[in-house]
Amino acid sequence: MMHRMAGCLPLLTAIPLLASVPPSAWVPARWDGTNPKTLDLLSGTPINCLLLNTYTAEFIDRASARGVAVLAVLRPGGDPSDAARKAIHAGLQGIVLEGDFPRGAATRVRDALADAHATVVELTSRARMPLGDPDPIVATYQGVWPGIQVLDNGAAKAAPSGSPWIDTNTGFIRSVRAWGPAAVWLGYQPPANSVITIERYLAAISDAEMAGARWIVALDGDLSARLQRGDADAVKVWRAMAQVLQFFETHPEWRTLRSYGKLAVVQDKDDAMLSGGILDMIAAKHTPLRAIPGQRLTADSLAGASMAVNVDADALTVEQREILKSFARAGGTVLTAPPGWKGQSALAPDQITLDKAELDRLNDIWHDVQTMTGRKNLGARLFNVASMLSNVLATEDRGQVVVELVNYSAYPIENVTVQVVGTFRHARLITPGGAEKDLEVYTTDEGGTGVDIERVSACATVRLD
Amino acid sequence: MTRREWIALISAAPLLKGGPRAPGAPVAIARCASYDEDVTARLATMFDQLGGLDRLVRAKTVTIKLNLTGSPALRVDGRPPGVTHYVHPKLVGAAAHLLGRAGARRIRFVESAWATGGPLEDYLLDSGWNVRQLLAAAPGVEFENTNALGKGNKYARFKVPDNAYLFSAYDLNHAYEDTDVFVSMAKLKNHATCGVTLSMKNCFGMLPASIYGDDAGVDEPNENPKSGRSKTMHEGRRQPSKSAPSELDPASSREPGYRVSHIVADLVKSRPIDLAIIDGVESLAGGEGPWIKGVHRVQPGVLVAGLNPVSTDAVATAVMGYDPRAPRGAAPFQTCDNTMLLAERHGVGTADLRRIEVRGVSIAEAMYRYA
Repeated sequence: MMHRMAGCLPLLTAIPLLASVPPSAWVPARWDGTNPKTLDLLSGTPINCLLLNTYTAEFIDRASARGVAVLAVLRPGGDPSDAARKAIHAGLQGIVLEGDFPRGAATRVRDALADAHATVVELTSRARMPLGDPDPIVATYQGVWPGIQVLDNGAAKAAPSGSPWIDTNTGFIRSVRAWGPAAVWLGYQPPANSVITIERYLAAISDAEMAGARWIVALDGDLSARLQRGDADAVKVWRAMAQVLQFFETHPEWRTLRSYGKLAVVQDKDDAMLSGGILDMIAAKHTPLRAIPGQRLTADSLAGASMAVNVDADALTVEQREILKSFARAGGTVLTAPPGWKGQSALAPDQITLDKAELDRLNDIWHDVQTMTGRKNLGARLFNVASMLSNVLATEDRGQVVVELVNYSAYPIENVTVQVVGTFRHARLITPGGAEKDLEVYTTDEGGTGVDIERVSACATVRLD
Repeated sequence: MTRREWIALISAAPLLKGGPRAPGAPVAIARCASYDEDVTARLATMFDQLGGLDRLVRAKTVTIKLNLTGSPALRVDGRPPGVTHYVHPKLVGAAAHLLGRAGARRIRFVESAWATGGPLEDYLLDSGWNVRQLLAAAPGVEFENTNALGKGNKYARFKVPDNAYLFSAYDLNHAYEDTDVFVSMAKLKNHATCGVTLSMKNCFGMLPASIYGDDAGVDEPNENPKSGRSKTMHEGRRQPSKSAPSELDPASSREPGYRVSHIVADLVKSRPIDLAIIDGVESLAGGEGPWIKGVHRVQPGVLVAGLNPVSTDAVATAVMGYDPRAPRGAAPFQTCDNTMLLAERHGVGTADLRRIEVRGVSIAEAMYRYA
């Protein structure tokens, strides 16, 4: 013990400079190289946490002086405890364990750093995320690269009658956030050997932020190299990314709001961890929803909902089934998957999307969900938003509603209409760059509140009071 | 026909006589480079050139069939559908305003919205249209999705008067019957199946998918249609709901290039078009929508309007750089029958440019070659 304490004394002196920003408020980015001059790129951005593969004392000092937390990224292979101790001793504020380490490794690292109060972030596969644990940050290195799926011939993937399909992590994020208050980080990296446009980077940021998570900013090799050289086009991309990040990070209150949706989706954890499932399918229809892990189903979690989809009926306990029965007795509509229907059986570590067989099975209930929800306004109805996803949130008293919009296409969308349940007198459009303007509010045919938005570029938010 | 002969023909169009006996009517052409121009003024001039709207619409119900083909979610280069394959909402608003000013009692916009029986207003909003502005453009504006029964309580049966090609009659939404004046508002486009799609081909969209759709009920209409009409109408692989008349000759050709053009000619014979308006300000070439491989955006900067759909379409086809009397096998009818000639044979109107008086800008001045 004495030995351990002695070893930690230098660590204690190294940590406290950045104590004012809690880890849950860190805005992370992966950082290439250790040239301290690159830190100048952080000026005007909300990024305050860098993930480093290598580090130098000078870089750490300069970063700390700017109030930027630096974390060492460690990967499986050997005992990470020594490397972690060394990193903290060198002045880093925390460790990121990226990859699927042997069971117990993270605990050993935490024990080794216990007296240093260093932050340990487990950047694991989705299957191994420690949901519900008290860690301030829960993270995964896996994610789909957000955007409209494009076929080999360059066309958007869609049936002639359908909307383009948007790859998104939002359903997954909603599920993870339903487990607890931890900040959620997505550490997936840009696809290799691809030309990545500015719009795709903005979509990656917005996709996570809209759902209340953070994408660990990561640049493709080409962009990173050009940025470090000061290439004007690369700087332009970087500035645009910073602007969108700033847009979300200057509104931390949005993360604290609750879903305004009247539709609840009760789903087993393994199903909810996959992208492209029922949550994303409903979200693509812009039906506001709340994700409820079956394991966390309570009467309170259904408060304010009028419909519930029970995806994995067999997985619920007797008490949880009784909660749904009570919900139905109180006037709620419950759609239960067919008897014997079971979604994802066991989540493989490398699986983050539904395979075809699972999608086919999901169609069993998707048709019923569509029939049940129909044209009903379950919180909000949005129009001309086929290339967008949205999140409709409200304050506890439902006196303020926030509609977040993210555009996944390479083009601005003109003339978007939002019709929200409830009466609101004022609407304000908030867009990246700090621009805000009042929108005309009108009463819809259904007695709700409508607003028309002239144009949405990468993202925008409407706040209704 | 050589290029020189072709130019000579279209230049002499108003002067020559002859051709089939089907009726002709003047057609107006206007230049309009952009939707930011005063499209209301352009249309007003064209309507005046056609003899004025008042006598046509005063105190009457006017039904306007819009061309809003395909899901509004599908876009070309991410552009609003009004500048690619839908009629543009500014032009629609301008037409409503002018109809209202001319004394129309009721202006009903209709379309069989793709794969839905829901309200047309929702479909328009999904297309990025401002429905409230459109409602305010004139008194008595309303909307009807004619893809199913809609606000009516029964379908209206339109018989093809003589010598029907494919069907003896068609069951359509009540809106096509409950009207005094019928307007087809189309886009100046190529069409993968029919060569061109103009004011007549626009009327193929009158067919309710509830009866003629791929998921139509076998016996009775399916009032919640979720599909198009390919199997039933393009390819004839199934019959419409038995509540409607079935095909005259189930052994006839199943080729879409034959079927669709003949059906369209039947439709415009049974439900006459009183006014045809064709939006060629911005459009698509190479096909009718984003689902057709090889389509590209074009900016012909032209509007065409007329009181006879065959003549109007013939002039519009000539503006696109094609011979409106071209037979099957010649551009743009390489794999289909020429709908204009079929309609002409039905006696709907003449497609003979020599018998059509063009007012405003000449065909030669307005020409924008699609090929």
